Amino acid sequence: MRSTISFILDGKIVDLDFKNSKQFSPTSTALNYLRSFPAHKGVKEGCAEGDCGACTVVLAELVDNKITFRAVDSCLIFLPMIHGKQLITVENLKTPEGILHPVQQSMVDLYGSQCGFCTPGIIMTMFAFYKNYDKPSREQIDDALTGNLCRCTGYRPIVEAAAKSCVHNCVDHFTNDESKIIKFLKSISKESIHIQTDNQKYFRPASLGEAISLKHQHPEAIIISGATDIALRVTKNHELLKEIIDLSGVEELKVITQTDSSIEIGAGVSLNDILLPIEKDFPALHEMLKIFGSHQIRNLATLGGNLGSASPIGDTLPILMAYNAGVVLESLNGRRVIPLNDYIIGYRKTVRKPDELITSIIIPKLTNGSIIKSYKVSKRKDLDISTLSACFRIDLDGSMVKSIILAYGGMAERTKRAFTAEQFLLGKQWERKIIEKAMTLIEKDFTPISDARGSAEFRLKAAQNLLLKFLIETKGTN
Amino acid sequence: MKTENQIPHDSAVGHVTGEAIYIDDIPVNDQLLIGKVVYSRYAHAKIKSFDLSEAKKVNGVYAVLCYKDIPGHNQMGPVIKDESVLAENEVTFIGQAMFLIAAETEEQCREAEKLIKIEYEPLDAILTIEKAIEKNNLLGPPREMKRGDADSALKSSKHIISGELRTGAQEHWYLETQACLSVPGEGKEINVFSSSQHPSETQALVAEVLGIKKHEVVVEVKRMGGGFGGKETQANHVACWSALLCHATKRPVKIRLFRDDDMIMTGKRHRYLTKYEAGFDDDGLINAVKLEFNSDGGAATDLSFAIMERTMLHADNSYYIPNMSVKALVWKTNLPSNTAFRGFGGPQGMAAIETIIDKIGRALKKDPAEIRHKNFYGLNDRNITHYGQTVEHNRLYLIYDQIIKSSEYEKRRKEINDFNIKNEFFKKGIAVTPVKFGISFTTTFLNQAGALVNVYTDGTILVNHGGTEMGQGLNTKMQQIAAAEFGVSIDRVKVNATNTSKVPNTSATAASSGSDLNGMAVKNAIDIIKERISKELAQIWTQQPSNPPTLQQSILFKEDYIFDSDHPERKISFSDAMLQMNLRQVSLSAAGFYKTPTVGWDKIKGQGKPFFYYSFGMAVSEVMIDILTGQYTLLRTDILQDVGDSINSGIDMGQVEGGFVQGIGWCTTEEIKWDAKGNLMNHSPDTYKIPTVQDIPKDFRVKLMEGVPNPVGTIRRSKAIGEPPFMLALSVWLAIKDAISAVGNHKFEPEFSLPATNETILLSIEKLKGKFHSPTLYESTDSKSRRPNPSKGGESEVSSREGI
Repeated sequence: MRSTISFILDGKIVDLDFKNSKQFSPTSTALNYLRSFPAHKGVKEGCAEGDCGACTVVLAELVDNKITFRAVDSCLIFLPMIHGKQLITVENLKTPEGILHPVQQSMVDLYGSQCGFCTPGIIMTMFAFYKNYDKPSREQIDDALTGNLCRCTGYRPIVEAAAKSCVHNCVDHFTNDESKIIKFLKSISKESIHIQTDNQKYFRPASLGEAISLKHQHPEAIIISGATDIALRVTKNHELLKEIIDLSGVEELKVITQTDSSIEIGAGVSLNDILLPIEKDFPALHEMLKIFGSHQIRNLATLGGNLGSASPIGDTLPILMAYNAGVVLESLNGRRVIPLNDYIIGYRKTVRKPDELITSIIIPKLTNGSIIKSYKVSKRKDLDISTLSACFRIDLDGSMVKSIILAYGGMAERTKRAFTAEQFLLGKQWERKIIEKAMTLIEKDFTPISDARGSAEFRLKAAQNLLLKFLIETKGTN
Repeated sequence: MKTENQIPHDSAVGHVTGEAIYIDDIPVNDQLLIGKVVYSRYAHAKIKSFDLSEAKKVNGVYAVLCYKDIPGHNQMGPVIKDESVLAENEVTFIGQAMFLIAAETEEQCREAEKLIKIEYEPLDAILTIEKAIEKNNLLGPPREMKRGDADSALKSSKHIISGELRTGAQEHWYLETQACLSVPGEGKEINVFSSSQHPSETQALVAEVLGIKKHEVVVEVKRMGGGFGGKETQANHVACWSALLCHATKRPVKIRLFRDDDMIMTGKRHRYLTKYEAGFDDDGLINAVKLEFNSDGGAATDLSFAIMERTMLHADNSYYIPNMSVKALVWKTNLPSNTAFRGFGGPQGMAAIETIIDKIGRALKKDPAEIRHKNFYGLNDRNITHYGQTVEHNRLYLIYDQIIKSSEYEKRRKEINDFNIKNEFFKKGIAVTPVKFGISFTTTFLNQAGALVNVYTDGTILVNHGGTEMGQGLNTKMQQIAAAEFGVSIDRVKVNATNTSKVPNTSATAASSGSDLNGMAVKNAIDIIKERISKELAQIWTQQPSNPPTLQQSILFKEDYIFDSDHPERKISFSDAMLQMNLRQVSLSAAGFYKTPTVGWDKIKGQGKPFFYYSFGMAVSEVMIDILTGQYTLLRTDILQDVGDSINSGIDMGQVEGGFVQGIGWCTTEEIKWDAKGNLMNHSPDTYKIPTVQDIPKDFRVKLMEGVPNPVGTIRRSKAIGEPPFMLALSVWLAIKDAISAVGNHKFEPEFSLPATNETILLSIEKLKGKFHSPTLYESTDSKSRRPNPSKGGESEVSSREGI
């Protein structure tokens, strides 16, 4: 057990001891840490909530003995989360001889920057992209850049710069340094970290067993993994988080297990790492996760986190509900699996006991004939929190409804099913006339609110219309 | 030798390496204090009492200031002095500055803020234009512009439409929030590093607030992380606040607004409520238009009247309107004072007239494109605007013909009609909209600029000018102009940070005028220096025994050399020449000046020639909407923009595309709401949605017109480009309306407003569906077509649109 953290910055291993630091606490963000150095002012704060991407940096880490590069929003990262990783900023991209990285050169050549404030973040997103994609498609480029807002250019030259530069088989001067960096990364111990300062306790356990016993000892501790939600309590509300258990070092939680009938996703797997394994068997979840947050957010955020915060607008929850997923909760007293339907009981309230951790989510595969679709209605298509979301699942017997789940997010204080409409539809013909009647019943199930994202009237209308959309789409697929 | 058109942005390498410095990145010594603004939480209230004593005791806090601590004037209004620096007895909007704190850390500032005790007595707040109208709460006297007799012309028109249009506010969302660093100098001197579009005004206000002279204040602007008008006047505020704290503590003080605070405290694009009536004939030729613009000025004047004036001057957009009456009212509300934003009132004016045109099309069952073309200003007649300026060098027809053809408008219109017949749940729409934008400040005296050009003995050149760099590439263009005028390679020229001690008394970098004005001033300075050099060289070369003499006017500056074009062997490298000049006591520094000729505008009469010239452009946009959710997809946009002879086509393309995409935001997803207490509901990017990379047209074809030098004498025959493309996004907005209209087979006028969010779209569709199921035909809620009842039941959209 150690009380300090170590990571690589500017080609050197940096050790940080929070006990002796006047400037930094365990909940200081990587952004604020970096900006405290004259040599890292290129990392910009645009919003401090992971929406604009101006603070994007790249984290390199060892996965199966290979270095992976991931773009993340440094405003959402607590310093201990970078333990054992390499932190790469825009200042590191030039070669030691001062030659611009291909992504930098293309941005210069193609007028990809105007005011330049968003540019360092965009460069870092493009750098991670460069290291992961060769000759990318337009769709891949757009997806990668969704998490970087630019108010000047209109994005076209940035897209072109990405397309033009990402053609060197992911090779650059970082490739030359790989063996050195791997050696450095391996030299940093993965043991658990317990940081205790005057007013904060921050635990980063190295095993699940340790995490569970820590939760037992500290039932009030806030659990984080990617911290994409919790970090806002620090960056926006300036709260002092007194006790934190950070699960990002627990490898057991980053496992995906597939069986013939289900998939079990560890609570700590990042959403980006889920995308590929679920693509074939869980299309409704895949569709939603593709447009969930941004690339930077998905590199950090986890299903466990989405379930833990249990937000009424959590985009994955209606889908997991429709899939009849189960939440696995573990404590010293053992393990239990709670069906999603019974898991959320109120506004951000769940049946999870204070000493329990969400360790995985089990999603059964669809039985033959089931059809499932997910929908997201938001003001902006991408990188936007849903005004409402929904996931519908139906089993038909001929053209008769054998079973149906209509799960909605953003329509009530929690993710909720439209039971009245479901009941009405059971045993009925799956056809437009019937659906139009069911649409009117949505009003009985929900009394949505008006807020910054949309009016109650709009929410209700869209919620009703989604049923019709589902009918059209299922008829098409049937 | 690199003086060609396509050099990169002069800061591009700094941008991509993170080395470019913004206010928050400036290295400061360890004396630096962080400043914080404590603002009102009430939209309208009396300040009954306040107590700062506990806050002052917080460890690390060096100053907590209230209005009583202001040594000079408690005023920071740019034109009308109606904005207090710190509130005195009353607060008039949420976000209004009341107190200032300076401390060693942000945390200490926050701690001190919590300890400030304020007792408010809430008062009735006006939070909507409607309520302001009801209470007759005008910010200033109404204005009117008139041509002909709109009232009687309306009466005699065959068809009349009328209605109301709402256009929404827009947040600038510059990536760099408002920021300023003030550093104390000797005695009363103060150095202000600001992110301001108007350093001279920042200087003036800091001097007034501190009660010192302008020559004691130096304001410097290296670059802004975006401005868009949001830092034209309101960067002054944060500069005044940091200067006050600097003055009080005698230490450097930096204020950088937190994103949410920036959004809450600063003004936005004005929202408008516009009432209109228009009369036209069977062909759609407009006979009369009556407009009443009502803008939400917010709690203070700021630039609201200048903005409204530009609305009035762009209410015609590209159309000749023989009888026109434009009434304009700026209303005072309890919201932050609204301010300049790219387009400066132009977008709101154009949205109104484009709505009228669109509606005429629907009422007559003609394609609005046809109505637009029919009403364009004429080339030789029908070419005088309602304010008396002749539309010269009209490029509307040229652009229209080209873009209709290159975008395959007519073919696509037919395909869209077919698509809409075949698809119940998705509808497509298309629209072409023009922009004619007047270039010049309408406050005529502002059309001036200065420059200071220094040449050093190593042959390098430092250009100072009064404009500011906010990403638009102004400095790059100045660098190109200087290099071209001196005939030297681009890397000899550096453009300095804008500094009020180098170039004084400048105008804001605004009104798209940055290159036009400052480019000419830089050229003027260079001409003066070249004249001196030429005179001296003519003497040197003439003194040589090898006669005949060198004529001064024969001396050319080219390719890093200076030579006598009559005797090319008389040649000296630029660097050697500069050394020579210095030895021979010739000044290599000159101040340049420029004022725009031939503009003049009588504000009182509303007549004259406010604009030096017009910029023209057009866009065709096609969208698809999902009629069950209201979500829209921008399928394709074609743009053709007139920039005269482009100084830098890469930079100009960036202005066109960037302006257009910002316009898309205003027209679609950027929605601002205030709650019943006057709190901004969309105060972070979480709920305020500017376009992402996914929101640009799937197929985006932008072209600058080629071979079209500006007929009037601008710098290198270029045209202004900053604002005009913004308004091209109205094509997206009207394409959405066209798609909605398809739900009712174009027989009904859809309810529509701006922005067209998915909510606006869906609710409009739902209302149309309601009408569609009822038997009545063309009966818009807000129009009273006098056309014989066109109830040819079942007339399909396609047949009504054939033959366009």
